[in-house]
Amino acid sequence: MNNSLKELQENLLHLPPTDPKRRAAAIPAMQALQAELGCLDDAAIERIAQITGLSTTEAEELATFYSLIYRRPVGRHIVRICDSVCCSMRGADQLLIAAEKYIRTPLGTVTPNGALTVLPGICLGLCDKAPAALVDGEALGPLNNVSLEALLQRILQEN
Amino acid sequence: MGTFLIDGHVIPFKPGDNILRAALEANIQIPHFCYHAALGSLGACRLCAVEINSKDSGKAPRVAMACLEPSEDGLEVSVSAIAAQQIRQHVIEFLMINHPHDCPICDEGGECHLQDMTVACGPPYRRYRGRKRTFLNQDLGPLIHHEMNRCITCYRCTRFYQDYALGNDLGAMRLRNEVYFGRFQDGPLENPFAGNLVEVCPTGVFTDAIFRQRFARVWDLKTAPSICPHCSVGCNTLPGARDGTLRRVRNRAHPELNRWFICDRGRYGHQYSEHSTRPLAPRVSGADTSYHDALTAAALQIKLAQNRIGGFGSAREDMEGNAMLQALLNKLGGVFTAFCDPELETATIAAVSALQNIGNAPSLADIEQIDAALIIGDLTAHAPMIDLALRQAYRKGAKLALLHSSPTLLAQFATTAISVSPREVYTRLSRLCELVNIESIANDMTEAPMADIVASLMGARNSLLIGAIETLTAYEVFALEKLATTLGSDTRLAYAFPGANAYGAALLSSAGNASTMLEAVENGKIRILIVAGNDPLGDSRFGSRWRAACHNLSALIVLDCISTVTAKAADILFPVAAWTERSGTFINYEGRSQGFSSVFHRSEYLPSVAEVITNLGQYLGRSLPDAESVLCDIFSDFQTPKPGTTGSLITVPALTMPITASIHSIQKSCNSTWQAALASWYGDEALASFASGLMALTPETVALIEPTSAVNAGLENGSQVKLHGPAGSMVLPVRLNQGVATGTIAIARNVLVQLGVGHGDSLELEQVL
Repeated sequence: MNNSLKELQENLLHLPPTDPKRRAAAIPAMQALQAELGCLDDAAIERIAQITGLSTTEAEELATFYSLIYRRPVGRHIVRICDSVCCSMRGADQLLIAAEKYIRTPLGTVTPNGALTVLPGICLGLCDKAPAALVDGEALGPLNNVSLEALLQRILQEN
Repeated sequence: MGTFLIDGHVIPFKPGDNILRAALEANIQIPHFCYHAALGSLGACRLCAVEINSKDSGKAPRVAMACLEPSEDGLEVSVSAIAAQQIRQHVIEFLMINHPHDCPICDEGGECHLQDMTVACGPPYRRYRGRKRTFLNQDLGPLIHHEMNRCITCYRCTRFYQDYALGNDLGAMRLRNEVYFGRFQDGPLENPFAGNLVEVCPTGVFTDAIFRQRFARVWDLKTAPSICPHCSVGCNTLPGARDGTLRRVRNRAHPELNRWFICDRGRYGHQYSEHSTRPLAPRVSGADTSYHDALTAAALQIKLAQNRIGGFGSAREDMEGNAMLQALLNKLGGVFTAFCDPELETATIAAVSALQNIGNAPSLADIEQIDAALIIGDLTAHAPMIDLALRQAYRKGAKLALLHSSPTLLAQFATTAISVSPREVYTRLSRLCELVNIESIANDMTEAPMADIVASLMGARNSLLIGAIETLTAYEVFALEKLATTLGSDTRLAYAFPGANAYGAALLSSAGNASTMLEAVENGKIRILIVAGNDPLGDSRFGSRWRAACHNLSALIVLDCISTVTAKAADILFPVAAWTERSGTFINYEGRSQGFSSVFHRSEYLPSVAEVITNLGQYLGRSLPDAESVLCDIFSDFQTPKPGTTGSLITVPALTMPITASIHSIQKSCNSTWQAALASWYGDEALASFASGLMALTPETVALIEPTSAVNAGLENGSQVKLHGPAGSMVLPVRLNQGVATGTIAIARNVLVQLGVGHGDSLELEQVL
C-alpha cells in the first residue's frame, strides 16, 4: 500500500518486458491505483495490464480473485461480514440479511450518502470470534444483530 | 513398469503414471471430469474417487482421488467400493445443484461428459429446490458460443487455453461459487486453437457456434474418418454431416500427429463446402448444363486443339486426382504440373528432395520433444499445428529462434527473433552455416543474435530446422538443408508445405514445368488448359500474366469445388466433390500417405477429380486405368492407405532437382527500396477463405511497416500510402509493427494478388497526402 503507482512504474522501467518481476508487481500496482481511485474500473485494469505486461484478462483474473481489490465503487467505510463455514454456522447469513435490511442498500453497493458498503467476506481466520467481521481493516466479533446494528448506525451517522 | 489391481483387474503402469491415467490406458473407466490426458491432473472436480486398501492390514482402506494418487506396484484399488461410489454420487449431486436442466436444448447433448457421468454415478433425482447460480454470457466471437450457467468449474478450458495453447485472453475470474471462465471484455478469442475449447469442455459451456447455425443432434450426424485439407500437417478429423450438408469438423486422434487438438482453420475452414458461391452444376460458356454435355464439349475442344494441351493439378488436390490428370496428359502429349508459380514449384520440389537426402521430417509428437528450433517464416499461418507442437516444446524449455519478414505469433515465445527482409533470408542462413563451422565467434555485437541461434542449435540434443515453403525460394530451402547437414545428425529438418498434398504433388511434378506451361500458353503452343483445384489466374505473382495469357486459349477447363478466379473465368467448369464428399489420399509434410473416406453425398451429383478425368478420357476414346494402378505405376509399392489408420511413409525414387537460373530473375531485375512480404494469419488458405465464420476474424487490410523504416520514409501510424505493383495499385493505411523487417512492407494475400507481387518482390510506395 505504501508504494505509489508512480514509484512502481519507475522501478519497473528498467526491467525487460518479459521480466517476471513485472507480473509480480500486479497486486501492489492494483493496491496503489485503488488507493488513488477508490476502485478499479475497466480503464484501470487496462492500465495495470500495460504496466505489468499482463494481458487484460490476466489482470482481471487477479483483480476479481482478491477480495480486497474492488472492481466496483465502494463506500468510505467497508464492513465485510465473514460467511465462511464457522461464521455461517454461528449466524453470519442472518447477519448479512439483517445488515442489508438495516441500511436499505443491497450487499456490495454503496449507501446513497456514500458512507458505507457491506460485503460478505471469505474466511478471516477469526473462527474463535464467529460470526466475525472486518470493519475498515479492523477485526470485530463475535457479532449479533444488536451489536451489528449499533455498528452500522455509528458509521452511517458519522457523516 | 509395474502392476496394480483395480477391482481384481491387473493394471500395468509406467513410472510416473497416476492411477487414473494407468486405468484409462488399460481401458478401465474411472469417472472423471478435470483430468485430461493432455492437460494432466488437477484434483479440482473430486469425481475420480477410489478406495485404496492399505498395505498395512491393520489400517482401514482410504478414499483418494485417482488422478492425484501415484501408481504403485501391488496397490489394491477399488472403483466399486461403496465409500468411493458415495463420494462420486455426492460430487455429481453437488455439481448438479447449479447446472441447468437444459439438456434438451443444449448443443452438447449426446456427447456431454457431465451427462454421461451423471447417468453413471449420480443420484437419479435432484433434491435441491433453491435458486441456481446464474451468469451473464460473453460474446466470444463468431466461432464459439458461451453458456456459463452450465459450468462445473473443472478448469479444463483455462488449462488448455493458457497452459497448453499459451493464450492469454481467456481466464478464470472471481472466486467461491461464482468462478467465471471468460475474457476481460466481450470479443473473439484470439488464440488460433481456441476452437478446441468446444471439445475440451466436459459440458456445454463452450460449443461450436458455426455448428449451432445449422445444428443437428450428434447421433444424427453421419461421420467417417477424414484428413484435414487445410494445410500440409494432415491432421486426422471426423467431419459430421446431415441431410446432404456438412455441419462440423472435430478432432480425430492420431498417435503421432494431432492427438487431442486441431487448429481453428481445420475446425472451421469446412464452411467452404457450404458457401453460396460454390459451383454445383457443370457450366459451358457460362450456362449450366449436364455432366454429359460438359464432357462432350471438353472432349470436342481437346480434339479441335489437336492435343495442344496442358494441365494443372494442385497441392490441395489428392494423389488420385493429380495422378489421373497427369496420366491423361501423358496420353495426350501434354504438360503437367501441380504448381502455377514456378518459384513455388521449385521450392516445393527442392524441399521434398532435401527431405529425401536428410531423412523424413519429425512428427508432431517428435516436434514436441525437441529442445531447440530455428523457424523460418510464419508457421502459425502455414502449419498451425506445428506451431502448437512447438509451443509444447517451448513449455518444456526448448529455445526457439526465428527468422521472419512479417509478424508471427511464435515470436512471443522465441529466445531470439530476427526480422529479416525476404531477400536477406538466404544470406542469413548461409552465415549461420559459416558460424557453425567457426570455432569461436568473434565478439561482434551485431552478430550476437546469430551467434545465440548457432549456440542454442549446437547445444541441443535434439533440434529442428523448419521453414514455410510458401515464403522461401529453392535456394533458401537448400540453405536450410545445408545448415541441417552441417549441424549433424541431432538436427531434424521439416518444411511446412503449401497445401494438404503439396508433398505428393511435388512427387508428380518436375521443376520448370510451370514456366514452360506459362510460356507455351503465352505463345499459343498450348490451346487447352485443364485446371484441377488450382488457381493460376488468382496467383499473386503470375496471376496477371495468366489472365492475359488465357485469351490465347481455345478453352479453359476447370475442375474445382470452390469459386476461384480461375473457376469464374472457366469456359467449361466441372464442379467436383469437396474433400468430405469423396475418398482419396493426401501425403503430408512428413511424406506420410493418409487416406480419407467419403463422409456423405450431396443431393447434386459431384464426382471427384479422378472420376471427371476418367470420364473425359472415355469421351476422348482414351481409356485410363484406375487411380490406384496409375499410382502403382509411378510409385512401385504404392498402396492406397486405409482411412482411419495412421498412414505410412511413402517410399519413392529420389527426385532430381535441377536449379534453374530463372528462379531469382524477377527479384534481381528490380531496384526498388521496398520489398513485399506476405502477412499471413491462421485463416489464410484457399479453401478456408470461403469459410464465412472464420473469415469474420480476418485482420484489417493494412500495410505493416517497421517503425524505423517508416520514420525514414516520412510515414507514421495511420498514414495513407499507395502501393504500386506490376498488376495494379492499392491505397492502404500504414500500421507500424516491430515484427516486420526493415525495408519490408507486409501485406495480406489479397493485396499481393491485386498488386501482382509475390513474397520478396519489389514494390513501389507513394505517400498519399
